[in-house]
Amino acid sequence: MTAALLSLRGVSVGFGGVKVLDGIDLDVRPGEIRGLIGPNGAGKTTLLNVVCGIHGPSQGDVLLEGRSIVGLKPSRIAALGLGRTFQTSQLFRGMTVLENLMSGLHRRTRAGLIAASLNLASYREEEARAEEEARLALEFIGMADFADRPGTALSFGQQRVIEIARTLIGDPKVVLLDEPAVGLSMNRLAEFDRLLRRIRDEKGVTLILIEHVIRLVMDVCDQVTVLSSGRRIADGPPDQVRNDPDVIEAYLGKELRARHTAS
Amino acid sequence: MNLFGRRNVLLALFALAAIAPHFVNTYHLFVCNLILVYVLLSIGLNILVGYAGQLAFANAAMFGIGAYGTGLLQVHFGLPFWLAFPLGAVIATSVGLAISLPALRVSGLYLALSSLAFAQFTQWVFLHWEKVTFGAGGFKTPTVSFAPLPVSKPIGLYYLTLILAAVLFLLAQNLVRSRIGRAFVAVRDGEVAAESLGIDLLRYKALAFGLSGFYAGIAGGIYSAMLNFVSPEGYDLFQMVLQKAMVVVGGLGSVAGSVLGAGAIVALLEALREVKGIQEIAFGAILVVFILFMPGGLVGFLKRKVPGWEEPLHRKGAGSAPAPAAAPAPAAGEARP
Repeated sequence: MTAALLSLRGVSVGFGGVKVLDGIDLDVRPGEIRGLIGPNGAGKTTLLNVVCGIHGPSQGDVLLEGRSIVGLKPSRIAALGLGRTFQTSQLFRGMTVLENLMSGLHRRTRAGLIAASLNLASYREEEARAEEEARLALEFIGMADFADRPGTALSFGQQRVIEIARTLIGDPKVVLLDEPAVGLSMNRLAEFDRLLRRIRDEKGVTLILIEHVIRLVMDVCDQVTVLSSGRRIADGPPDQVRNDPDVIEAYLGKELRARHTAS
Repeated sequence: MNLFGRRNVLLALFALAAIAPHFVNTYHLFVCNLILVYVLLSIGLNILVGYAGQLAFANAAMFGIGAYGTGLLQVHFGLPFWLAFPLGAVIATSVGLAISLPALRVSGLYLALSSLAFAQFTQWVFLHWEKVTFGAGGFKTPTVSFAPLPVSKPIGLYYLTLILAAVLFLLAQNLVRSRIGRAFVAVRDGEVAAESLGIDLLRYKALAFGLSGFYAGIAGGIYSAMLNFVSPEGYDLFQMVLQKAMVVVGGLGSVAGSVLGAGAIVALLEALREVKGIQEIAFGAILVVFILFMPGGLVGFLKRKVPGWEEPLHRKGAGSAPAPAAAPAPAAGEARP
């Protein structure tokens, strides 16, 4: 068994008197696609925000490659190799698609104030390499033709995919995707499924998929974790989780659970 | 190639500025010099507001700190202008960096208010710390000498400003299209997303404040030498409104726009100098027109109408101004009592 890439140890978060997360344990191994599902209000996005350093946990610890990242600034956590995307489109509206991707290279480029403002050769070379890399990243998602468009001129689904590419270009070890399939049509969904697998297989990136589209999660994930009311109620391969009585209850209610298990 | 492309227009403007002293009288030379001072100010302000999206109102105060720094170092310590001037810019840069620290905790309206409070505090120091600043009456500064160069002070100062403005224009232009410029725009367009890409908010906000302080400090030093005189009222709220107007009229998030905006606003104020009452009304009206109908400013207009006009960063994007940065400007009309 390989060591976990990302671990949560007894993570709890409370806002006022309300416990949004209650003692969550989670181990995500390298190369995994992990699904994180649960009904609305289960605490999925809060968990993501804790991992990314936007809130601190009230209790517990978050480890990236065995090292605690609690209390670090979000930009520092990102620099350690943790990427994320957002529920709503977060493309930078003042930039073209290509420039958006190049901004994802921020932490892997070095040019400082002097090199950049004096347009020094070292900076120009780095910039040319960055542009090349951004174009390759656009090819990877099959959107090379969109390079010079303003990000906001694209469909919502396209913006989401570009955001994923913008995160990947920074060479993260693990990426948390917050409901990336919202608004995708059924045939787009199949394409997206393939894209996620390619990200894992070709880029070697571990993915954590927070998603409402259960079909996608069941198809693509190796392991699925289910949250309900801030607690982890199930954890395992998709088939096992799908038939877990607690999960059925959380999604469908007690009565349907009884009917489901009876049939 | 496009005859009226961005580069050609800017080169033509530079050439015109370079030969201008041969054709204009002393007064108009002063006005041309003033335009160049405002070019420096609005480039710096545009980096902070237009690119990094920090809605701060401290630029007039930093302009004043550059002017007071340059002037007082000459008067109190007997430093020559050529030493006092760069030191004045260093002081303004340091103040810019220092006020970025509270700015990291607040944003939007709160940043606007706290930076305004800082600007008013600076005014108060200029007015009331009489032992050092000579109070409301201001003070005279020594006349700058360009010896051994065979040029008069106004001509020498004009060319000094022109060279500084051209160089600092080019540096800013390079900077905004680099990874640093992209980091500024990322911070402006989405702080949380910027952080998720490893962009350190603290670092880039501080950098934007420092740069705007530096540009304002350079402008302040020159301005004090132009007037041979420094007094508090040149660096008040109206000064701030003027600078904001230049950035909005020229185009938020465009270095070239800052040049056009500075030229347009100074020219407008000069043209209306004869009719005092009209000046402020026209000024307010123009601001309202730009905010309502041309949110991209002059540059947004040029981008749509002139095929060769391309702006670095958002190369082909429409002239979309970030909404919060444009918000304070409507107050401009009533800013002067």
